[in-house]
Amino acid sequence: MSQVFHEIEKKIITSLRDTSKQTPASLEKSTQLSPDQIRRGIEWLRLKELAIVNESKSSVISLGKNGIESFEKGLPERRLLNLLKNGPKKLSDLQKELGFVFGPSMGLARKNNWVEASNDQINLKNSPSELPGEKTLKLIGNGKLSKDKVDVDDLSTLLKRPDFIIEDVLKTQEITLSDSAKSIILSDSTGGIDVEAKVPEIFVARTHPLKDTIDEIREIFVTLGFSEILGNMTQSSFWNFDSLFTPQDHPARELQDTFYLDKINAKKIGTPEQIRKVSESHKKNWRYQWDINEARKMVLRTHTTCVTIKHLAEQKPDEARIFSLGRVFRNEKVSYKHLVEFNQIEGVVVGKDANLRNLMGIQREFYKRIGITKIKFWPTFFPYTEPSLQTMVYNEKLGKWIELFGMGIFRPEVTKPLGITKPVLAWGGGIERIAMLKYDLDDVREFYNNNLGWLRSTTKCQ
Amino acid sequence: MPVVELSYSRLQKLVGKVSKKQISDSLPFLGLDIESEDKDLVRIEYSPNRPDYSTDFGIALGLQGLLGIKTGSVKLKIKKSNNYKISVKPDVSKIRPFVTGIIAKNGKIDDKTIKQLMTMQEDLHFGIGRKRKKSSIGIHDLDKISFPLIYTTTNRNHKFIPLNSETEVPISEILINTDVGKDYGPLLGQSSKVPLILDDDGNTVSFPPIINAAVTIVTTKTKNLFVEVTGINKDDAEDMLSVVATMLQSAGFSLESVNITGSKNSSPKFDSRKLSVNSSLINQTLGLDLKTPKIISCLKKSRLDASSKGNNVVCSVPAYRFDIFGSMDLVEEVALGYGIQNLEPTLTPSQTVGEINPISLKLKSLDKTMIGLGYLEALNSSLTSKRVLYDMTNRDSTKVISVLDSKSQEHTILRDSILPGLLENLSRNIHESYPQKMFETGTIFNIDNPISEKINFSGISAHKDANFTEIKSILQSALNIGFDVQIETKTSTNPTFEKGHCATVLLNNIPIGVIGKIDSKIIENYKIRVPVVGFEISLSDSVLKSLEK
Repeated sequence: MSQVFHEIEKKIITSLRDTSKQTPASLEKSTQLSPDQIRRGIEWLRLKELAIVNESKSSVISLGKNGIESFEKGLPERRLLNLLKNGPKKLSDLQKELGFVFGPSMGLARKNNWVEASNDQINLKNSPSELPGEKTLKLIGNGKLSKDKVDVDDLSTLLKRPDFIIEDVLKTQEITLSDSAKSIILSDSTGGIDVEAKVPEIFVARTHPLKDTIDEIREIFVTLGFSEILGNMTQSSFWNFDSLFTPQDHPARELQDTFYLDKINAKKIGTPEQIRKVSESHKKNWRYQWDINEARKMVLRTHTTCVTIKHLAEQKPDEARIFSLGRVFRNEKVSYKHLVEFNQIEGVVVGKDANLRNLMGIQREFYKRIGITKIKFWPTFFPYTEPSLQTMVYNEKLGKWIELFGMGIFRPEVTKPLGITKPVLAWGGGIERIAMLKYDLDDVREFYNNNLGWLRSTTKCQ
Repeated sequence: MPVVELSYSRLQKLVGKVSKKQISDSLPFLGLDIESEDKDLVRIEYSPNRPDYSTDFGIALGLQGLLGIKTGSVKLKIKKSNNYKISVKPDVSKIRPFVTGIIAKNGKIDDKTIKQLMTMQEDLHFGIGRKRKKSSIGIHDLDKISFPLIYTTTNRNHKFIPLNSETEVPISEILINTDVGKDYGPLLGQSSKVPLILDDDGNTVSFPPIINAAVTIVTTKTKNLFVEVTGINKDDAEDMLSVVATMLQSAGFSLESVNITGSKNSSPKFDSRKLSVNSSLINQTLGLDLKTPKIISCLKKSRLDASSKGNNVVCSVPAYRFDIFGSMDLVEEVALGYGIQNLEPTLTPSQTVGEINPISLKLKSLDKTMIGLGYLEALNSSLTSKRVLYDMTNRDSTKVISVLDSKSQEHTILRDSILPGLLENLSRNIHESYPQKMFETGTIFNIDNPISEKINFSGISAHKDANFTEIKSILQSALNIGFDVQIETKTSTNPTFEKGHCATVLLNNIPIGVIGKIDSKIIENYKIRVPVVGFEISLSDSVLKSLEK
């Protein structure tokens, strides 16, 4: 326990030792400190857990404009009854004397059977000794009163009337010393500042945690000698599917898996030669009638591979190391492990000597750099690569192997029609999956919730 | 990917002398993912290009190869027979022109085998059959059918007793009242005629691709099978039949041919294809130096036959392996036979210098500047909802870009602005302490031949003293420090912003965005209790202009 106390704290502690349970106002009086000093002192002691502050709220009522008038002259209906004390009076006379309160007070008096009217004359039938609201009116008078000091029912009749009652919520604090405060020896205080005290939290401005992972992966690719290319998220089916040898009736192309844009088709999808050769490859190998209209349909890219293949078809490099990174889309039900939109990284190596073992080697190196060393490769199937592999990485937390990246060598059925003559090694996968491992998240949606509580508190991953 | 449920003990019986562990260790190296295991049962995911893996018979063939128990190709032994004929009438040619079939005799059919056959049938229907459109299979009890058969058409009031029924039902009712009728009836189009297989006694055998007749149902008492496949493409129908025939042969049946005649149809051959691959392509692709005999033994482990011919390896590919298109597919088969686990990864030094795309670099530097200014980065989906993008913010929604059939209501349209998403973020964080300052850079979409994609930059600040001056200072500093450009602001109005507190952002006199205090009505819509100021500008039209194509 720190023994450093400010003069203000000392005074407050001393006063509270004399008289327990005080309000800020009584402390002001006993310590001769200003309200601001008292406020700060209490807050310091509270943070050190030396003072216990009990806050309570109470309602205080006072009279409004109409309330004060009624307190002085009597309630309008009381004034009406008073005027009739000495015998019946004409309606018009009463109207003149009471002014605009005549209507409502007359209504009230007749409803309660206090008066009766015959012809033009108003007679008093009985005059109650106390009308609803009179007691409370008297009790409040020109002062202020705690709401719980008055009869709730009687008050309620006044609350219904405009400008009769003003209600204020008053916060009161009651300060007592905690047990640990009682044993403090104030003379031991050194007079320095309390370096052990809790301080207010300052929220850091930062890049989004997912973006940190994205940037990290981008940097790793660059250090492995890869250059970044960018491309559109909206693509024609031609580049997203056809150019990658996915037949037009393939299940992956259905509405239930892929987002098609409503009533939007691409006019120009590729060069006439690209279109002709791709369609020939489909017709020959898949044996069906290839339809250019199907290829024109615009989709939200389902992978970044469309960006890569378009780039390769345009540049036809003999050697290259490129990567593409960005958002991809799948028409899935959103859940803790599925998003409709997520980030994907994809890299390719083009070169006459590029081979499967190189591809595995680059993978191993990549995982090493993001801190994953336990990996293995399994064969798998992708429509546009042959041979195809997937990486399995060991997740210590789950205690099992999980699938991470897919990879393979682009099929000749993909590369040849586009004039790409050298082998292309390709691999890629979802970034969120890696980020989830890094940030120890179980729910992938957290990345896009922008929940400030999480963004402000989660630790940066190295 | 399709999933099949198998039993280890049954697999052990089919494969030969292997332990359960050997099987579970080997499955992934056939390209099969083990999804879950429970004692003897194992659920396996297989690739849609390998429909032969839809049954334990097919997987057993693969395992035998990989484990070296039985290698080389599985040959179909089909006894030529003249007892079984299908003649095809010309009238089917417009609807479902092709039929093919095979006879399988003297097999043992237990419950598990029936279950496996049905799963295979369903998977074939879904995968290569494209939901029965391209081709569909019917499996029948041969002994309930009198040959020859005719494949013909009938009108929709033709009656027969379909599977799972006890009374005769007209076809028109089958199409309306049964699930299969509703699901696959549309494949037949509007034509008044539908395809039908009739036997020699005039009994209905099958109404393809919808349903079989009840009388030919396969049970554990069935000894002999007749399998027919109908479809719109002859090759596809034969491919499908080749898978079924191979599986039935592995299951112990002996096969006999069915003679098909008429209207472009002919009896299927099921011949294996010869495909050759250069051994240097194999070695170059796999990064290995395998001699021809080794290559041949690898291919045999993948259950293909091969022999050497000069520098080439000539492979004989059985009919059911129609996933093999060309030489690269054979390279993969060599890799699988070699064992992926035996391929040692290598790292060749990079000959290239990598670089980050200049646009990514610029955006990263902007991120850093905004963080220096105390702004937290947010990331929102580019697929969003009409509610967030337009309704809440009063914006014009006439040029909305929608996606078809989204499974999520919150993700139906592409954003043309980033700011509404940030406001939505504030709305979800009203219980967190203020000030709340956030920014986002991201792609926005607009209709333009057909779609233009631009990168926008938006920032917001929410706290009790938030005001125009503050947010203008932020944007000015960010662009000045980040990109060395000076902006100006010119009075304007915008439905999202408060009148008199809103300006167009100009760079070199060209409007690039908007800045101001968010309209109090909108703040209320989002249930935010403090003033909010914000901006959104197009980076594509200003600072990234020279970098984008």
